[in-house]
Amino acid sequence: MKFSYNWIREYVDLPAELSMKQLSYDLTMRTVEVEDTENLAEALDQVVIGVIKAVEPHPQADRLAVCKVDVGMPEQAVIVCGGINLAVDQKVAVALPGSMVRWHGEGEPVQVKKAKLRGVESYGMICASSEIGLKDLFPSIDEREIMDLSTFEAEAGTALAEVLLLDDQILEIDNKSMTNRPDLWGHYGIARELAAIYNKPLKPLPTAAVPDQIAGFPVEIDATDRCNRYIAAVYSGLKYEPSPYWLQLKLWKVGLRPINNLVDITNYVMLATGQPTHGFDKDHVDEKIIVRNARSGEKLEMLDSSKLNLSEDDLVICDVNKPMALAGIMGGKSDSILPETTEMILELAKFNPTTTRRSAQRHSMRTEAGVRNEKGVDAERMDQAIGVADQLIEELIPGAKLTAYEDCWPVHVTYPEIEVPLSFLNVRLGRELDFAAVEASLKPLGFEVKVSRRTETDTIFKVIVPSWRGTGDIDLPDDILEEVARMIGYENFDFIPPQIKLDKAIRQRNIETERAVKEYLAFRAGFQEIFTYPWIDDQYLEAAAIDPASCLKLATPPSPETSHLRSSLVPGMLEAIAKNLRYFDSMKIFELTQVFEPGTSNPSEAAETLPLMRRSLAAAVVGKDPVQVFREAKGVIELMPRIVQIEGLSFAQQEKPGWADQKVWLNIMAGDQVIGTLALLSVQTMHAADIRKTMAAVIELDLEKLEPLPSRENKYQPLPQLPLVEQDFSILVDRTVKWQEIEELISGMVKRCAFVEEYSGKQVPEDKKSVMFRVWLGSDTKTLTAEEIDAESQRILNKIRKKLGGEIRHG
Amino acid sequence: MKDKLMTMRDECLDAIAQAGSEQTLEETRLKFLGKKGELTSILKLLGKLPPEERKETGMLANQVKNQLTEALEAREQALIAEKSVVDGEFDLTVPGVMPESGSLHPITQMCYDLNDAFHSMGFEVFSEDEITSELYGFDHLNFPPAHPARESMDTYWLEGSENETGAKRLCLRPHLTGASVRYLKEHGAPARFVYPGRVYRNENTDARHERAFFQYEALIVDRDFSFASGKLLVKTILDKVFGRDVDVRMRAGFFPFVEPGFEIDMKCLVCGGKGCRVCKHVGWIEVMPGGTPHPNVLKAASLDPLEWSGFYINVGLDRLVMMRTGVDDVRMFHSADLRFLSQFK
Ligand SMILES: [Zn+2]
Repeated sequence: MKFSYNWIREYVDLPAELSMKQLSYDLTMRTVEVEDTENLAEALDQVVIGVIKAVEPHPQADRLAVCKVDVGMPEQAVIVCGGINLAVDQKVAVALPGSMVRWHGEGEPVQVKKAKLRGVESYGMICASSEIGLKDLFPSIDEREIMDLSTFEAEAGTALAEVLLLDDQILEIDNKSMTNRPDLWGHYGIARELAAIYNKPLKPLPTAAVPDQIAGFPVEIDATDRCNRYIAAVYSGLKYEPSPYWLQLKLWKVGLRPINNLVDITNYVMLATGQPTHGFDKDHVDEKIIVRNARSGEKLEMLDSSKLNLSEDDLVICDVNKPMALAGIMGGKSDSILPETTEMILELAKFNPTTTRRSAQRHSMRTEAGVRNEKGVDAERMDQAIGVADQLIEELIPGAKLTAYEDCWPVHVTYPEIEVPLSFLNVRLGRELDFAAVEASLKPLGFEVKVSRRTETDTIFKVIVPSWRGTGDIDLPDDILEEVARMIGYENFDFIPPQIKLDKAIRQRNIETERAVKEYLAFRAGFQEIFTYPWIDDQYLEAAAIDPASCLKLATPPSPETSHLRSSLVPGMLEAIAKNLRYFDSMKIFELTQVFEPGTSNPSEAAETLPLMRRSLAAAVVGKDPVQVFREAKGVIELMPRIVQIEGLSFAQQEKPGWADQKVWLNIMAGDQVIGTLALLSVQTMHAADIRKTMAAVIELDLEKLEPLPSRENKYQPLPQLPLVEQDFSILVDRTVKWQEIEELISGMVKRCAFVEEYSGKQVPEDKKSVMFRVWLGSDTKTLTAEEIDAESQRILNKIRKKLGGEIRHG
Repeated sequence: MKDKLMTMRDECLDAIAQAGSEQTLEETRLKFLGKKGELTSILKLLGKLPPEERKETGMLANQVKNQLTEALEAREQALIAEKSVVDGEFDLTVPGVMPESGSLHPITQMCYDLNDAFHSMGFEVFSEDEITSELYGFDHLNFPPAHPARESMDTYWLEGSENETGAKRLCLRPHLTGASVRYLKEHGAPARFVYPGRVYRNENTDARHERAFFQYEALIVDRDFSFASGKLLVKTILDKVFGRDVDVRMRAGFFPFVEPGFEIDMKCLVCGGKGCRVCKHVGWIEVMPGGTPHPNVLKAASLDPLEWSGFYINVGLDRLVMMRTGVDDVRMFHSADLRFLSQFK
């Protein structure tokens, strides 16, 4: 929101030497964030008043004129101009060379230079209001119309900013930082803060002189839960016309477009006090004002010509026949201020913030009034607002008269009185304060501070909260602490190192294991960690053969096809593979995060029942060769317990997930419990997920089932005293023979054995495969001789031949 | 005879000096000192000399032999010292063979960096489930009943619970702060812990806005704790992220779950506080909110707000990573795009 520094200074005399930089800093540190300050006059540097002395046709161009203009210099300036309303003796705005203008009112400002226009040199330009950012203040009908300033008293050559009274600073304050401070949404509120910060007196606002004998005006509040005070002030003898320049200027400077005197008055009151107001044409109001909930099906055409379908959730201002305004947000088109209005009902009211916000949201209407009403304005502020309004009407419209007045205030709110122990302030602030210091911080903000009682060791204050801070902003000792602290200035508190007691080392095995798994996969196994969204696309859910009914759903999902929450990381993995295949034909990726399932869990308390949630791991090895990717993925699981320091894992075939290949799949086992799966993606799954011309081995693992070891388990094995002999064997066996069978057969006969490779194809019969493996032979008591080694080898081969029918290819 | 010896010696020394490889050196040795070499053939003439001359010449011949042997050895050492294990050219500019390298997601990297820093000060790491209830997401955190964030245009409520209230109304957590109440309920106070994680907000996405993003929250709860101690948490994060001491300031800010609440700014690292485009000419950049836990939050965690106080900070991990690495589109983090992710090692 924008604030005018000149306007603020009508309410408080600030130190003369105060710079905008200092003010911005102080206000930002203590109250609200000043995002920017703008000097309005600066933008109009080198723009001056010119008086046109002659207008002659341009020799080369029909639509241009050559003007001789008095710009306060010894010689008249020759300026080429395309304006359609040029006239001799007219006062105009001349942008001299060096000034900044926007061509045709658009784009970034550019610097004006002396330039030849169709052969005639022009000394600057005569401006249209849009070219110097004054369009809303000096509206033009035709874009070629130049600003006519003849009504202003000004010598030629005077700076335009001076003539237009633009010597002001505009403060731009971050709306977000003011959301909890409804008192700051008017200039008087900011003035109050600045008065407190600089310890200057705040000037009182005018009060309305409502005669005792004045007539009333019937006001009926049906929904007192949504409106607890409504003032209707009837003014007669009005005249609809443009506001005087000073008022237009004031509104324009803070971003509002001047409209007409009556509407401008209502806006002025709001900008001054923060209290929104509205004017109804009294001739349009039948009998009385009624504040009630709208009826379902009621319609209302608004001032901005939008047509609303109202519901019972909306609050409306009506007469006996019809709704006339959406309460606190915007007036209706037909019954608000009109050109023929001579009698106005000025509305000041307090509406329920939530009702206002919901209505504004429902009808997508964001208005200055709505924004303020949804913050929660205090009902007492209307007394200030009516005072400001009354004074302004009297000043602007000589014949105007307050002819009727009604203050309907069925529900009064009480404001908090808070007990604050001095010890509380001292401990939490880390400094020693006394009554005077506390009062010095709070009183300028409108708080009343008393000593409530004293104990042997403490003083208890009673702090009475002013109405404008009592609408939810302040109600606890902690709130008072904040007020005291910010007035002292947060920058004046030194860092106090916290005193920390150390009693034991931190040991969080669950957390440590998760990190160990991630780091193992990334740093040892060469996987890239990815993140995907928890809502999964139905295409991939189906591809992974997961029943959507087994997933939780979002009430308002990001898109209709992503309404299900993941119960497995596999669908996200499929999508990631499919997307990355555009750029990579092989990859290794993993994701480790929570998945969700219907069910019940109570992590914190019995009353709160959450669904089942657990951390899951999915990883994929993608490449051309199915054997290769599968073995690589298998190796990742086989090595993991050693590196991550968890209980061992094994493999078995027990429950095949829907996405796994018909043949190539294994469950990952912790003891006899299935805790995951390692498998190639099935043909069907790859088709459905658009994964083509490649193979993928996917691991899915329930992280909650990994059992961390209490400590690193790596036991020392004495090194062999006697050398071991390495022997390679290559045997030809039936394709149905499993490596596990071979291993079991020979492992008792050797120190160690290891699979080397498997081959089928050329030179190997159709139904056979060649298996190569390596064994280590040795004795604990002596070094084996060549004959003994040969004999051992023969024994191994004989056994294979006998049990598995294998033949030796070479040894 | 002596002359012959001397001539041979000189010839041999020349040849040794000329020898450019071990092979030519060996040829030289054979030519002069070999069994059929020149020295042997000269010594064969020794017997024909008179005895007194024979002895003298014999000694001279021995000296020559020793001298040449030494010269040969010295030259051989020199040749070995000059020699490479590789014959011919070797292109040193050919790139190395990379170790197989995966990596953690840049958000995880940042998160672990911060965990390490807080771990060193005795903070635990806590992790809350991603689905929470209105009770823990809002009620316990002093959000007013009609707070806009509770509505479905802001929060992802679960189907079937969206019209319930409190403990029965479930959502993807809108922020991490609810986790603080869970932790404090379980562990009590004093406490110091961090709880990083992903949070969700129902909004339209663009380069600066995401529906799923990461936050990092830290909380310290202790007796008689002043907000002026809270800077420790702020500095721990910023110093770790930027690798140097960063100036911070705390100014007034409002959040329902803190009182007093702060906006915390760091001095602009680009201009050092003088003001530049990056900091919008203010000299400071807003980095995180923070503040003392609101009494209602402590009460929700079964702690007496008169006894306990503390300090929260909450920082957006996505934004920290963007500041540290220059990533300019927050949506990249959930893209799973390996061209992007593999840049962060
Ligand atoms: Zn800067």
